[in-house]
Amino acid sequence: MGILVFISVLLVAACGLIYELVAGTLASYLVGDSVFQFSTIIGTYLFAMGIGSALSRCIHRGLANRFVWIELLLGVIGGFSSALLMLAFAFTQGFELILYALVMVMGVLVGLEIPLLMRIVRDRYQFRDVIAHVLTFDYLGALGASLLFPILLVPRLGLVRSAMLFGLINAGVALWSTFLFANQLSATRGLRVACLVVLCALGAGMAQARQITATAEDNIYADEIIFARDTHYQHLVLTRFKDDLRLFLNSHLQFSSRDEYRYHEALVHPGLAAVPTPRRVLILGGGDGLAVREILKYPQVESITLVDLDPEMTRIFSSNPMLTKLNDKSLLSPRVHVINADAFPWVDSNADNFDFIVIDFPDPTNYSLGKLYTTAFYRAASRHLSAQGLMVVQSTSPMFARDSFWCIAQTLKQTGLQTYPYHVYVPSFGEWGFVLAGTHEYLRPTSLPAGLRFVSVEGLPALFQFPPDMSPLPMPANQLNSQILVRTYENDWKDISH
Amino acid sequence: MKLGRRNFLGLGGAALVGLSLKSEKKIAGSFVNDSFQMGHLLRDRAGFPAAKNTEKVPVVIVGGGIAGLSAAWRLRKRGFTDFVLLEMNAQAGGNARWGENEITAYPWAAHYVPVPSPRAEYVRELFEDLGVLRNGQWEERYLAFSPQERLFLYGRWQEGIEPAVGLTPKDRDQFQRLENLFTEFRKSGAFTVPLELGLSSKFQNLDRISFSDWLRKQGFDSRLLHWYMNYACRDDYGALSSDTSAWAGIHYFSSRESEEQGPLTWPEGNGWITRRLLERVGANIRTSQMVHRIAETRRGVRVLAGDTEFQAEFVIFAAPTFLAPYLLDNSPQLQDFIYSPWLTANLTLDRYPDSRGAEPSWDTVFLDSPTLGYVDAMHQSLRTQVDRTVWTFYWALAEGAPAQNRQFLLEKDWAYWKETILHDLERVHHDIRQCVSRIDIMRMGHAMIRPVVGSIFSEERRHLKRQNDRILFANSDLSGISIFEQAQYQGVEAAQKVLKRLHG
Repeated sequence: MGILVFISVLLVAACGLIYELVAGTLASYLVGDSVFQFSTIIGTYLFAMGIGSALSRCIHRGLANRFVWIELLLGVIGGFSSALLMLAFAFTQGFELILYALVMVMGVLVGLEIPLLMRIVRDRYQFRDVIAHVLTFDYLGALGASLLFPILLVPRLGLVRSAMLFGLINAGVALWSTFLFANQLSATRGLRVACLVVLCALGAGMAQARQITATAEDNIYADEIIFARDTHYQHLVLTRFKDDLRLFLNSHLQFSSRDEYRYHEALVHPGLAAVPTPRRVLILGGGDGLAVREILKYPQVESITLVDLDPEMTRIFSSNPMLTKLNDKSLLSPRVHVINADAFPWVDSNADNFDFIVIDFPDPTNYSLGKLYTTAFYRAASRHLSAQGLMVVQSTSPMFARDSFWCIAQTLKQTGLQTYPYHVYVPSFGEWGFVLAGTHEYLRPTSLPAGLRFVSVEGLPALFQFPPDMSPLPMPANQLNSQILVRTYENDWKDISH
Repeated sequence: MKLGRRNFLGLGGAALVGLSLKSEKKIAGSFVNDSFQMGHLLRDRAGFPAAKNTEKVPVVIVGGGIAGLSAAWRLRKRGFTDFVLLEMNAQAGGNARWGENEITAYPWAAHYVPVPSPRAEYVRELFEDLGVLRNGQWEERYLAFSPQERLFLYGRWQEGIEPAVGLTPKDRDQFQRLENLFTEFRKSGAFTVPLELGLSSKFQNLDRISFSDWLRKQGFDSRLLHWYMNYACRDDYGALSSDTSAWAGIHYFSSRESEEQGPLTWPEGNGWITRRLLERVGANIRTSQMVHRIAETRRGVRVLAGDTEFQAEFVIFAAPTFLAPYLLDNSPQLQDFIYSPWLTANLTLDRYPDSRGAEPSWDTVFLDSPTLGYVDAMHQSLRTQVDRTVWTFYWALAEGAPAQNRQFLLEKDWAYWKETILHDLERVHHDIRQCVSRIDIMRMGHAMIRPVVGSIFSEERRHLKRQNDRILFANSDLSGISIFEQAQYQGVEAAQKVLKRLHG
């Protein structure tokens, strides 16, 4: 019997360590800063174990019964801890509170285990043997768990099921103890039933683990995820709700299929239709092919060069049926040449001229992207403009990021171009802004391609009028050595999110 | 940030396995560009071969660092091409040498030039030549991109190197008071770049006391203030503030306008300037030519290098001046030329290490590290997506006597320095060992002149600078501080003197 008791110690120790590792790992994944997370969680856990040990002296009678109940409780709480934490992160504001509350509770329970167990078996052995054996198996269990966790459990089972597996082990120890310590127990049958209930609940949990993970993840995006991929450059997620397809790049909404025509018509037509004889067009960014779709409406355009960093992005938008339906297979047109390259070096080294240039990059959320919104970049890009050429720049929201919008306009102006800022309303984005720029005066087009749903000749003048809440602000130009735009953009969005 | 989760959950296992089974990644590398062996030949007065060939050439420039290259630039720009430049190493450039691998070009030593003030005429003229300055505008892509400098302190980052986090009101007050003092010195016009233009005996007493003593005398006792002043001296002079002349310490802060837009920099640091100069004067340069004797005759100067004797009318001695006693027949012993030993390392990174959430900066410094931090060569790249890079790690061995440090530098093997460098970086980038695939290390026993107390106003220097014989000294160490602008100034001045003498 001795060895069986000590195997219980080993298993119990392993469970205790696993719950701690699960909490630390999840917190690191979800909140980040793994050093901080592991330090504080280990600290809190050990401290709670101390409380548990101290509390054990308050338990005078029914040691074995209490032990079984503690094992069951731990099985339930520890086993479901991982799932609970993931759901808490997805659905509540109080992730940290729940995290540390869970860690405290589990710590206290784990702290109670070993003192109780030692007292249960103390009459069977000499004191020094109890201490030696219990602690030996305690540490052995910890070693086993700490090796199993990273090598087998996380890669094979994932965090949710790993926790549940050890919850099952805890509950198993409880059931086993009802036999092991039968002579010290009362109401044994009730205990065994409870054990079976817990085991069943955890077993069901194991079966549903995938669903729980998916539910938690789905809640980041409001809708069903139909496609998610990590490319070398970005995290690409496509969601669908009824007929609304949405693309997110690194969690930033790129378009919603319900209103993207507003964005892309406004991006392309006010400029392109004003170029007398557009033959060659350049698009920087815009790997979704939606701007290309609009440009293909001009039969005079002979060639469209699309430069996008991410080959995976252009590949998906050339091959996925749902997406090619959206962009009318624009990327497969023989007029389109896709080049997967980093825009700034490409613009710097290429010598071709273009009649229209579309600059459609993600918003300047970091210093890398910020380089693509500088006087240096616009100077390099404008060298590619033909005599009749115009370029248009996606310039973030003049409403939500008003300083940033006017900073981009000023940056273009600084390079010696004439600038014509305008804006449109895109329901899924809000008010959105663009800047047209050229070496000559811009005259609004008098005709547009047939079949447009948003941009019209009559409606054009209104796009160039800014109401007082979006009207120009004096801003400095953005330069490589100042990157004032990245800082401005960060402040703009901070202002409206709080 | 929430989005990161999906990949985290997917990759979590792999990452954890990586963490728990941390395997030592093999890091390659070696010492590179060693030149002390050649220097020691001179020191030990080894036998050199007798001259087999003679070449008659009006002007010989000894040393192909920035001073020598600038002299050559000036000569050619004035239409004078009848000269040779002899460089001991296989690569010209001196402290502005560079390296290159499949990722990027990177500096071996000096890596930036502050935006020059209007008084630095020669520097501005050069930069106009090189297209860095056009119509009064500095080319944007040659200005250091933002974010430029960051300091790691108290477990977090701050922008800029002057400590701004965790200051007490007293610290703040002292930084402000010191800044006011520097502004006064700046207004005096006596602290200029090049320093010869402003040098005034009015401030000679500042050259008689060490920088740290001067600071203490002014009532500054803030630990952070002293750290920053000491850092500045280590960075610019390779010396502790207690070994630096107060005049030089003040010069660092009072010689330039607080420029918003600078400094000028390139992936390969000042190697970019070297490259451009080589395009212009390369035809006159002979590398791997160690000069072992320079002898004045009645008609001119004989310069012996390898088995060739150059018969020149004038020699511009642009090599470090401490070599003169070993080369010149009757050169006086030099007392006031003390040099700081340095170590630089170029680390090839296969990915950026964890930087605790911060975006990469150009220049990174750790508070209280004995090293000077590192510079990221890919920072000046125009690319938005950068996976691999090269970091140049700087370390002036400032603590202790230079001679002992030189000894130490040569004694320790590559593995020792590799470990020491990684250990320093590991304090902030815990996974640095997993990112680095190569570390090349350059040891420089006499990397830069040390502006010790008394050296700026030294009689010896004044005498050498004034010398207007057939041998003209031109190294930046003549001025007492080793910066690009000084090297260029001495080189151009020497070239102009030679042109004047040659053309009557």
